[in-house]
Amino acid sequence: MADRAGHQTGRLTPRLALAALVLGWACSAGAASLTLRVRTPAGTPVEDAAVVLDPVNGTPPQSHGRATIEQRDRDFVPYLTIVQKGTAVDFPNRDPFKHHVYSFSPAKVFEIKLYAGKPANPVVFDQPGEVALGCNIHDWMEAHVLVVDTPWFAKTGADGVARIDRVPPGAYRLRLWHPRQKGAAADIEVDLRRASRHLDLKLEVAPRVIVKKPPLDAGGY
Amino acid sequence: MILFRTLERRIAVVFVGLLVVVMLLMLLIVARSGEAIIATESERQLSAGARNVSNMIDRDRRQLELAASVLSGDFSFREAIATQDRATVLSVLRNHGSRIGARVMMVLSLSGEVIVDTQRPGKPARPFPFSDLLRAAESSGRSGDVALMEDGLLYEIVVVPILAPIRTAWVVMGFPVEDAWASEVARGSGLDVSVVATGGVRASSLSPTLRSALEKQQSTALSEQPRQLTLDGRNYHAVALPFGPQARVLLLHSLEHSEAVFRELEHALEIIAGAGIALFVIGSFGLARRIAGPVKALARAAQRIEVGDYSEAVAVTAPDEIGQLAAGFESMRTGIASRENKIMRLAYEDTLTGLPNRTRLAERLAGLDPEAAAMVAVLGLDRFAPINDALGHPVGDRLLQQVGARLAGVMPPRGMLARLWGDEFAFVVEGVDELSARDFATRLLAALREPIELDGQKLDVGGSLGIAFRPADGRDMDALLRRAEVAMYSAKRRQSGYALAGEVGEGPPPEELSMIGEMRQALDRREFVLHYQPKLALGSNRVVGAEALLRWQHPERGLMPPGRFIPFAEQTGFIREITPWLLGEVAAQAANWRERGISVVLAANLSARDLLNPDLVVLMRELLAAHELPPAALCLEITESALMEDPTLALSHLAELAAIGLKLSIDDYGAGQASLSYVKSLPVHELKIDQSFIGSLTTSPKDAAIVRSTITLGHALGLTVVAEGIESEADLNWLAAAGCDIGQGYFIARPMTASAFCDWISGRAAAPAV
Repeated sequence: MADRAGHQTGRLTPRLALAALVLGWACSAGAASLTLRVRTPAGTPVEDAAVVLDPVNGTPPQSHGRATIEQRDRDFVPYLTIVQKGTAVDFPNRDPFKHHVYSFSPAKVFEIKLYAGKPANPVVFDQPGEVALGCNIHDWMEAHVLVVDTPWFAKTGADGVARIDRVPPGAYRLRLWHPRQKGAAADIEVDLRRASRHLDLKLEVAPRVIVKKPPLDAGGY
Repeated sequence: MILFRTLERRIAVVFVGLLVVVMLLMLLIVARSGEAIIATESERQLSAGARNVSNMIDRDRRQLELAASVLSGDFSFREAIATQDRATVLSVLRNHGSRIGARVMMVLSLSGEVIVDTQRPGKPARPFPFSDLLRAAESSGRSGDVALMEDGLLYEIVVVPILAPIRTAWVVMGFPVEDAWASEVARGSGLDVSVVATGGVRASSLSPTLRSALEKQQSTALSEQPRQLTLDGRNYHAVALPFGPQARVLLLHSLEHSEAVFRELEHALEIIAGAGIALFVIGSFGLARRIAGPVKALARAAQRIEVGDYSEAVAVTAPDEIGQLAAGFESMRTGIASRENKIMRLAYEDTLTGLPNRTRLAERLAGLDPEAAAMVAVLGLDRFAPINDALGHPVGDRLLQQVGARLAGVMPPRGMLARLWGDEFAFVVEGVDELSARDFATRLLAALREPIELDGQKLDVGGSLGIAFRPADGRDMDALLRRAEVAMYSAKRRQSGYALAGEVGEGPPPEELSMIGEMRQALDRREFVLHYQPKLALGSNRVVGAEALLRWQHPERGLMPPGRFIPFAEQTGFIREITPWLLGEVAAQAANWRERGISVVLAANLSARDLLNPDLVVLMRELLAAHELPPAALCLEITESALMEDPTLALSHLAELAAIGLKLSIDDYGAGQASLSYVKSLPVHELKIDQSFIGSLTTSPKDAAIVRSTITLGHALGLTVVAEGIESEADLNWLAAAGCDIGQGYFIARPMTASAFCDWISGRAAAPAV
């Protein structure tokens, strides 16, 4: 999981140009960072929890970045993807057979019918909301996209820790979400004035049911 | 019990009864074990079927769940559901529901609200009524159960999620549980299947009749323990399985088939038992008849024997036990016949002579017409006793046989000859008048007059005949015989050959007859006593002797003189027992007095029979020796008539007695026919003149002459002359003057007891002479 998280961070680098504006807005006010540790009430670190900061006042800067959710080894990678509204997401198929990605979630209903390789057009998530992704021909394949309306978000790693950097000081509503959460956590008002802040959060999460995949024969599926 | 009255029935009833019992037991056991086998087998099948049904229900549910899952996984279905368009959703639900035969289709929100319901289209959302199912589905992905829905029908309900790929909604599918379902389960399990829920039987594979029967008793039927159940007259084993919270599956296993098999077996056994019993009835009756038939024949034979019919032989049919019994009966029959023959002979025949006996004679007489004239004659032999005594019984017996034969020779036709007893014979002759009776008597006596020759010895028995007539002298046998007997004695006394009962009177009064029987008791009871009458020497006026006189101290009749019973004692022969006793008493008394100084000669009377008894001499010898008496101390008085019975034998016995030294006296001299020449030859010492002469001495010159001449004659023969019956002083004086040696009589002294005699002697010694 850790390398996957790293991977994702790496993916974001190509969008530095876009981020310059944001950084500029942030720098003008003096940037802050927020570190969060999310654990279950039992104390287990919660991975793939989304931490989102919505500014209480003002409109956050818009972004039209790109993201990628791969289909690899009959799984979606990553499991959770957080994107800002308007982000186009590619669904490259790395498997030697086709996939059929779909979503019936109201935030984004779409379907990429049986395809191989990388589809020509990415899917643009233009509404905030939670989107569950599935593959019509591989029932166990599951991924989540959280579409937010803010550039300040992060997701916890395997250690349950997430860090949001370069957040302009100000008042924010901190939203904690997890695809398998049991009940929604209440938003937290966070006033970010200092350079960095650390928060410990509790969230009850159902364990991920790992469905055993049917075996792949040598000859492929 | 009438059933057991005959052996035949008893055998048959016992045999058949036993067989019936055995058969019933067998049938009972077969029925019992049949029931047990049916029950066990049925329970086994039921429990196997129940497992089967249970598995089927589970598998069914899994398949439904699977089918529902597959359906809910259908992309286009999910897509349609995702449209949120109610009309579309309803339509797709109906469409996809029909694919898998679901009658009810619902979509639930994740929060458990019924969003769309094919049963209630267009109705607002409402909570899903089966929250348990939902909870189960939430925890394990999907769930299924049986429940009653709002439409009142029982449904197999499956709840599966719609995954896209996360759970976005629930789909509920309801499959009605109906008869078709029950029939299918019934086919798969081999049992009858019914589903019972509140409100009755919801589904059943049973026929309508049985189904309605089940409706009536569903409450008792619904047990989870197997139990017996009767529906519409058919037997079932039933068990109920839980089927959702509100329903149960009732499984019925019909016992009909197994029962039919056993019923068939029972029928076969019943037929065998019936046939067996019938055969047994026939067989045992046959056997019983074979046994009882000969037994009945034996019973009939026994009845014949019972009534005295010995003529028919008992048939011996078979060599078995009954044959042996028949053989036994046969030998019994011949044995009884011969014994009865013998008994008849013993009863009716005199064994010595072979003649009919008294009983036979009585029967003959009784058999005659009571009014018809008949003659009963009794013959007594005159000289049988002396012959018997002298020559012994064997000779006497043969003599009687000869007499019998001779009498038979003169028997008139239509008559019967019988031997009464001893030397008496009797005749019964029908239709005889006095004249022909006399003729018969004459012929008979003539026949007897001829001596009978035995071993070369001629024996002259002679006989006297008494004749009685019926009805003139009596009607019954006893009366006639008595009359004839009395007449016979009379004839014997008078030596007239024969006498007719009508001429001699009635004979001794009955009391004397009974006396004969009493005499034996009298001897035992010491009722006989001896009185002594002194004999006085007329010359010296001294008592020189005494005559012992027998008296019977009879308990009712008082003191009886010998004249009233001695004749009967002589007739019956009882005298033979009296005489030895009397002689013993006299000898003892003589000895006693001698010791006391009373020296008198004691005289005892002997009858003719005593005199002819050959043992008399021996007895006298023994008595003298026993009492140490001089022979001359005793005197034996013998009547003239006694001597005349058998003069020869009497003479020889007298000679022997005289040789011993005993004094002998002729008693009642002058009354009999003894000739002087005979008296002369006798070895006697004394002559006692019959008292009939003495009583009339002073009145009858003839008697006085006889007495005087007798005294003279006696003296001439060297005999002492005794006069008895002296009743007056005149007589005494006359006799003393006539030279009579000794006197005896009331005038001198009456007979008295021994002690009185002693006193009398003492008194005489003290007082002056008479």
